[in-house]
Amino acid sequence: MANKKETGVRGKRRPRRRRSKFVLPAAPLQLDPFQEEAIAALLDGYTVLVAAPTGTGKTLIAEKLLEHILAGGKGAVYTSPIKALSNQKYRDFGQLFGPERVGLITGDLSINERAPLLVMTTEIFRNWCFASPGELEHTSHVIFDEMHYLDDPERGTAWEESIIFAPPHMKILGLSATVPNIQEIASWMAEVRGDVVKVIEERCRAVPLEISWIAPGGDILDEEEARMEIAERQEIRRWRRHYWNDMMAAGREEFDF
Amino acid sequence: MAAIFSSPTCVEVIEAIQDYLPALYFAFSRGRTELLAEELGREWDFLTSGEKRSVRWMIQEAEENNPGLFGPRRQNLRRLLLQGIGYHHAGLSPLLKDLVEKLYESRLIYVLFCTETFAVGVNFPAASTVFDACRKWDGQEFRPLLNREFFQMAGRAGRRGYDPVGRVFVRIDERFPEQTGFYREDEVEPVRGRLTISPNTVLSLLHWKTDAEIRCLLEKNLSVYQSNKESRQLRQEVHRLEEKAAELARCFCPDRGQPCCELYRVKLRKELNQLKKSKHRNRADSKLRRQEIQILLQKGRKKCRYKVCLDAAKKVRRLEERIHLLHKRLKQLEKHSRDYVRDFENVWGLLEKLGYVQGRELLPRGKFALYVHVQEILVTELVFSGILLESPPVEVAAILAGVDYQPGRDEQVIPPPFSLERVEELRRFLFQSGVPEHFCLWSPLPAALAAAWYEGATFDQLLGMTNLQEGDIFSILRREIDLLRQIERAAGEDRVLAGLARELRRRLDRDEVAVVGV
Repeated sequence: MANKKETGVRGKRRPRRRRSKFVLPAAPLQLDPFQEEAIAALLDGYTVLVAAPTGTGKTLIAEKLLEHILAGGKGAVYTSPIKALSNQKYRDFGQLFGPERVGLITGDLSINERAPLLVMTTEIFRNWCFASPGELEHTSHVIFDEMHYLDDPERGTAWEESIIFAPPHMKILGLSATVPNIQEIASWMAEVRGDVVKVIEERCRAVPLEISWIAPGGDILDEEEARMEIAERQEIRRWRRHYWNDMMAAGREEFDF
Repeated sequence: MAAIFSSPTCVEVIEAIQDYLPALYFAFSRGRTELLAEELGREWDFLTSGEKRSVRWMIQEAEENNPGLFGPRRQNLRRLLLQGIGYHHAGLSPLLKDLVEKLYESRLIYVLFCTETFAVGVNFPAASTVFDACRKWDGQEFRPLLNREFFQMAGRAGRRGYDPVGRVFVRIDERFPEQTGFYREDEVEPVRGRLTISPNTVLSLLHWKTDAEIRCLLEKNLSVYQSNKESRQLRQEVHRLEEKAAELARCFCPDRGQPCCELYRVKLRKELNQLKKSKHRNRADSKLRRQEIQILLQKGRKKCRYKVCLDAAKKVRRLEERIHLLHKRLKQLEKHSRDYVRDFENVWGLLEKLGYVQGRELLPRGKFALYVHVQEILVTELVFSGILLESPPVEVAAILAGVDYQPGRDEQVIPPPFSLERVEELRRFLFQSGVPEHFCLWSPLPAALAAAWYEGATFDQLLGMTNLQEGDIFSILRREIDLLRQIERAAGEDRVLAGLARELRRRLDRDEVAVVGV
């Protein structure tokens, strides 16, 4: 208890143990097998869906593909579901491939629209598919980041219309969080686009998750303990309600006297 | 400590998980993130004096470029950041969000209270994630988090290369223990097709796509694909069950349904029993029927292994029930897959009635709406009714800010110094013409803010007019800029309208509302 209360600069509590200074981990030089597989399929000219948990390195696949496309003198579109993410990607790609090769188009902003690599919102890409497919003539790929947004009740339509109406010469790279029916989506895309679609799934997280529960009071519980704790608390509540009802009833009786 | 009667606090949570920092602490309202941050800030300080110096330096640097960064409302955040605590939600101005993100990336924030949006997109890993609750407001109701949503957030725990495991902590709320969530990654929800048919979709299809392509969207979209697939599976299942029932029925003999058949006799006995117990048992027809049954039962039973038949009959009945359910679901699916064609025709009909199209040909209104992607009917009518060109520009700025805006509970803005009655009148007219409300969303709420910004007010002045937060005002004005770009494009040859849109945009896209540093 005592060391927990160790006081700091303004008499406030300080963390019990200072962690050692962080060291930046070296970027993994070796690609994971699923990344290798995805990149190989893309370079073979397939439409590819990658479903993997966050933080496993889906972006790396996209970057390798973009490198290849730009080196070949072609263009690509990268779409993301939110503006903040588009801005971030625009900056990242600018650093990676040189700012002159990257453009950004969202509803309220456009920068360097003629660049070979365009970062845009999915809605803008959808509009292009309808209004100006000619502009996409030299664009070989479209990358949909967070493709599970297909399921978004309000915005899913933009993804769907984009997939159906993206010019037929374009290949798609769809990056998605883990979804159980990724294979079904792939068969649908294959049917609607008349194209072969490869699915690459990675189920393992780079760092596994361990879920615990925290009881009022601060005890860390595992699942079984948590379920017991919850059952107990519900019991207490029921009992309390009972107790109160009895008290109230007793009170009323007394009152009736 | 005295946990039993204390309301659950984040202080004790953080104490419990202090070996697993930095933590992302997910809460499901903006107010809650601030409240929790304040609470933690009263007791904890995570930074060494060296780290504090770095934070101070980063804040100073950010403020040099934007003097009003913390403004009148966020002084508490500055204080908290110096203790290694932060909060992050959509109400913050983008610049402030940026600063918080930068500090987090520089490992100068040990506990960040945030809303769900922090988990979408940019990857900010942490040693642990904490769930303040497992329910969120989805615009209509409080509902439990989906598995997908939970793991999107939870998955931020565990930094590659440092943490052997990512720790996820779910708080059990003392008051609502039953709302505690238990989630499994192998139970993540499947993705379903969500296509909806908007006026713009119909116009785009009619204008740019062939009949075959239109049919492709309406008949081969993901939702239809999924329900067709389900129908196919269901039909196979029905077929299989029917075969099974037929197989079972093979043991029935030609005497089935005759008084000598035990199957029939069981039925008769049951009926007899019911008649005897019924309150109408004294009625003449009941008595008659009972006699009839008794006569039938007096005829002897055929000597056979009737148990096999009884068993089979029971199984067949169960199969038939299941088949009935499957048929019901099939009918639902059939109805659903026709919906898109119907929706398309409905919207097409409406557009024809409103004078946007004639057959497949787009009329001037239709050609305008083709380039508008939010509330296209309302915006087009605002233009063609003359409201936009006849009103002074400041009022146009006010009107357009309200397009597609759905005010939240207790949002307040002072009313503008002019009347917006013409817009209300136009909407009433559109409703009467059969335009559904969701194609005509508009609110007068943001009007005064856009008008003041158009006339050169400072951002702090805007904040003084409303209880909306910085981030909200920013996004209202950015969305208007987006809409103005669409109008400018849609105006085409109409120089006056295009000029108006450009001029409005020029005056709105400035200072705090301009996007910098991209």
